[in-house]
Amino acid sequence: MNRRRLLQGLGAAALAPFANLLPAAPAYAGDGVAERVIFFYFPDGVVGPSANGEPSKWHCTGSEFSFSLSEQLQGLAAFQSDCVFLNGLSMGGTDSGSHPGGAKKLLTAVDHGNGESIDQYLSRTVGSGMPWRHLYLGAQATANGASGDKHISYYAPGQSIAPQDDPRVAFDLLFGAGGGTGGGSATVDPVQASVIDGVLADMNALRAKLGSVEKTKLDLHLDALFEVEQRIKGLGQAEPVVSCESPAIDTSQIGDLNAPESFPAILEAQLDLMVLAMACGLTRVGTVQASTHTSELIMSRFPGTAMYDPGFDMRSHQASHYGPAHDPNHREYADYLMQRQWWVEQFAGLLQRLADIPEGDGTMLDHSLVVLCTEVCDGNTHLHDDMPFVLAGRAGGALSTGRLVDVGYRRHGDLWVSVANAMGDGLSQFGDASGGAIPGLLS
Amino acid sequence: MLPLLLSLALTGCKNRVADPADLVDAECAADGYPEARLRLLTRAEYDRTVADLFPALSGGACSDDLDCDVLTQSCVAGSCSNDPCELVTFHLDAPDGPYGSVHVAGTFNGWAPTVADGGWAMEWVAEQSRYVAKRAVPDGNHEYKFVIDEWDWRNDPANPDTAADGYGGWNSLLAQDCEGATGVAEAITEWSAGFPVESRPEHYPFDNSADSGLVTTVHVEQYLAAAEAIAEQALTRPDTLYTCSPGADGCARELVTDLGRRAFRRPLTAEEADRYEGLVEAQADWDTGVAVAVRVMLSSPYFLYRFEVGQIDAAGQRTLTDFEIASALSYLVWGTMPDEALLDAAASGTLSDPAELETQARRLLADPRAREIVGRFGLQWLGVEGVTTLDKVDPAATDTLRNQALAETAALMERAVFESDYRTLYTGKTAAIGDELAALYGVEAGADVALPTGRAGILGQASVAMATSHSDQTSPIRRGLFVRERLLCQDLGTPPANAGGVPEVDPDATTRERFAQHTDDPACASCHQYIDGLGFGFENLDPVGRWRETDAGVPVDASGELLGLEQPGGTDLHTFVGVVELGRILADSDSARHCFTTQWHRYATGRLETDADACTIAVVDDVFAQSDGSVEELLVALVTAPRFVRRTP
Repeated sequence: MNRRRLLQGLGAAALAPFANLLPAAPAYAGDGVAERVIFFYFPDGVVGPSANGEPSKWHCTGSEFSFSLSEQLQGLAAFQSDCVFLNGLSMGGTDSGSHPGGAKKLLTAVDHGNGESIDQYLSRTVGSGMPWRHLYLGAQATANGASGDKHISYYAPGQSIAPQDDPRVAFDLLFGAGGGTGGGSATVDPVQASVIDGVLADMNALRAKLGSVEKTKLDLHLDALFEVEQRIKGLGQAEPVVSCESPAIDTSQIGDLNAPESFPAILEAQLDLMVLAMACGLTRVGTVQASTHTSELIMSRFPGTAMYDPGFDMRSHQASHYGPAHDPNHREYADYLMQRQWWVEQFAGLLQRLADIPEGDGTMLDHSLVVLCTEVCDGNTHLHDDMPFVLAGRAGGALSTGRLVDVGYRRHGDLWVSVANAMGDGLSQFGDASGGAIPGLLS
Repeated sequence: MLPLLLSLALTGCKNRVADPADLVDAECAADGYPEARLRLLTRAEYDRTVADLFPALSGGACSDDLDCDVLTQSCVAGSCSNDPCELVTFHLDAPDGPYGSVHVAGTFNGWAPTVADGGWAMEWVAEQSRYVAKRAVPDGNHEYKFVIDEWDWRNDPANPDTAADGYGGWNSLLAQDCEGATGVAEAITEWSAGFPVESRPEHYPFDNSADSGLVTTVHVEQYLAAAEAIAEQALTRPDTLYTCSPGADGCARELVTDLGRRAFRRPLTAEEADRYEGLVEAQADWDTGVAVAVRVMLSSPYFLYRFEVGQIDAAGQRTLTDFEIASALSYLVWGTMPDEALLDAAASGTLSDPAELETQARRLLADPRAREIVGRFGLQWLGVEGVTTLDKVDPAATDTLRNQALAETAALMERAVFESDYRTLYTGKTAAIGDELAALYGVEAGADVALPTGRAGILGQASVAMATSHSDQTSPIRRGLFVRERLLCQDLGTPPANAGGVPEVDPDATTRERFAQHTDDPACASCHQYIDGLGFGFENLDPVGRWRETDAGVPVDASGELLGLEQPGGTDLHTFVGVVELGRILADSDSARHCFTTQWHRYATGRLETDADACTIAVVDDVFAQSDGSVEELLVALVTAPRFVRRTP
């Protein structure tokens, strides 16, 4: 896996903003495989088709190469040529109308979340061999005891796992400051190696003894032990895109992890960390979960945003029930629109971070695939058709961007097949009613 | 009693004749036994287990007592240790201190008027603006006061218990009772602070789901890091690990055998003992070898999972081993590993005898550790743990108030289980109330305060009011669903597409008016007739649990209706006004009681019930009903039921 063309001479401060080195030409000749994939989730849908039948205010209109961005997608204007906007993908009829039903299907493409999610699948295939197979970061995604169907990453059928909500804890884990094994090191600590060997000996004895009892549970546990063993023994070390001698993220603005006022700073730090971990070659597969479905996040308390109104609490889920019509005079509607625009801006911020770091003959964004998703289409009707997915990044040349792709009607498991293919995985079907990769999506 | 038994027998155990005697003897085997399981320790279980494995390390590293977060800990040999029960910590916060002197005078030192006469001098701790004294106090009731500058006699402001002094005044009262206490860990080090949070499946309220307890890479990393830190601390107190001479013949064997038996909650096999002994001896020096063995043990699947796997006997039946039964019992009742007595009982092979299991269950239930777990059960069952971090616009919702609200709920739960009966949960008229909560309720603080009119039991508690409200408004929907799902175990399913959202706060409309659409629109009413009418009965309690007489300037209408009490979708209608009347309805309801039994069954098994569990739940619920709501009898029936130890082969 020596595809990376390392840019020489990057210092420790490589994550400082760089000029956007994005070539102007839409055609990008990479090696045809994405180095990494990031799933970016936000809660409670978008302003789609209203209950009264008004057309969507999310989906773009026009032709494949000549289209205009919708009002909610304006935040991506600078990245229009780096994105593919998708119309027509459906998550199927089961539980349509439900937030939890949608969240369960979103990354699994299986009704009731009864399957492994695409990020976990990729972590096992193209992600294995990396110091971390997968990185799952959250922003207030475990607030108020949220778990179960609130989380989109399914480690096993029916079993979601919880993201790490504290960027400081996640940072320590990744970079070893908290006694963790971090990103692997050239020198192997013989004591750590003895410990993991001893644990593996117990695990192997146990598996032999139990046979089929709890086999799935122990298989997952064993895989996790192998991954850590690899880090401890310095195997599978990836070449970093940037120098990672003294990695750092700014967590000074976070304050109370549970306060709505802190949310933007937490999300910023998690996005910094995700990009840093990937730039340092620690992982190829990442998921960022911003809040959870039916979110109680009081977005009207985000300082310095258009939504800010300290005298009135407007929650994400509350705003999503904006009523039967797109009525700008209705407070919920106006707030919901602003909220959705804010999520799109955060996604653009993630793209900007990737575009700021040179990699090979382009930027990290050119070598990445980034997915924007949420669990329902319109937040008021809660339907699961024509889901608001956006792909970004040129995926090392696998994805030709700057397009509006209307798939007519296709199940969204097909999108995950295409994403896997872009990552160099030969997946042919994923989830319920999959018809295979979306034709013409990848180059 | 008989009609009740008949109906339970018919609905719960459809294949059985409705003879109460048969119910008691029922094996409930007709639908097979549960699957063999490995149950990952929850974060709370992990921390308690480590605290029990290394009792001397229950606190963090320290150089003096001040480094310990908890007043009732002292710095012993470099780590914070919980004080023994006999040692009582007196403290007096003195923001305007220091004074010339402060001492403790009481019946235990002859009301010494001065330190010279034997008064217990208190030490000034400038960093905390506080006077502190730690003294061993024998069992019994003691009265005392603090004496400032040897003339100003004051009661202990931190102690709500008082006794009349015979002169029309009051002394602080200390009821010391250490006999039988087993060194309850009052402060548990949170080694698990960085572990991922537990996932809870839909409708499963507890943190111990057997299905969801999966180990990810992040778990492994955190387990290894915690084990390293614990081993490092343990090595500062080698006496907690071994008493033999380091490096002496057999010392490594002794260490791994003793620690292994407790860490794995069963004796090591000879092969395991060999391997662990080898781990100690393979390292360059003794301490490193010990550290490696401890770290491996604490990261081993044998430590991290509770085994409910069993063994298959000659007849092909799978039954939990005695040691597995010991753990199943101790984690259910204590939330931690078995103690020596329980391990010994397992070793003697007697726990498979239901009579001995019952004896042990009653012993564990009588131990103070059971109280804490019962409180935790209550907070999870009611879904109120999250109130510590919920957004509330009301400035009264300080951290202190939230914690006092949780403490009130936990205390009521403990009272209902250990001092009263199940109905107290719904009808209790006294409560343990801290100062900020007392101010919110408009009563005096204390350990046994009479509640004001309009509050009784859990339904009137601030914790429930907070958990079932938004930041700025009450939610009749959440409150109705709270009763349906948590108290009646009824699932109403997910709302349909086009469901309306939360109506805006409107200064001119009451909550009831704003939600009227739910009952005016027939599409909404089909479900909301079971929800809103219930929730409206809570309207006297605002989003933080403060009593309110008006909402939007209009007198609150707290009349409510409960449609379909005994079964979901039922047509029986129960009307009430306010939570006190609702509490009475629930206290007398078979369905609420059956749900309470079901919630304990969930907690004990780590999963939602299936049809195959209906019979056992009915049998346990019947015992519970006949015992007039004794939760101890419920739990004893649960652990002595055949399905507690039997598994499908």
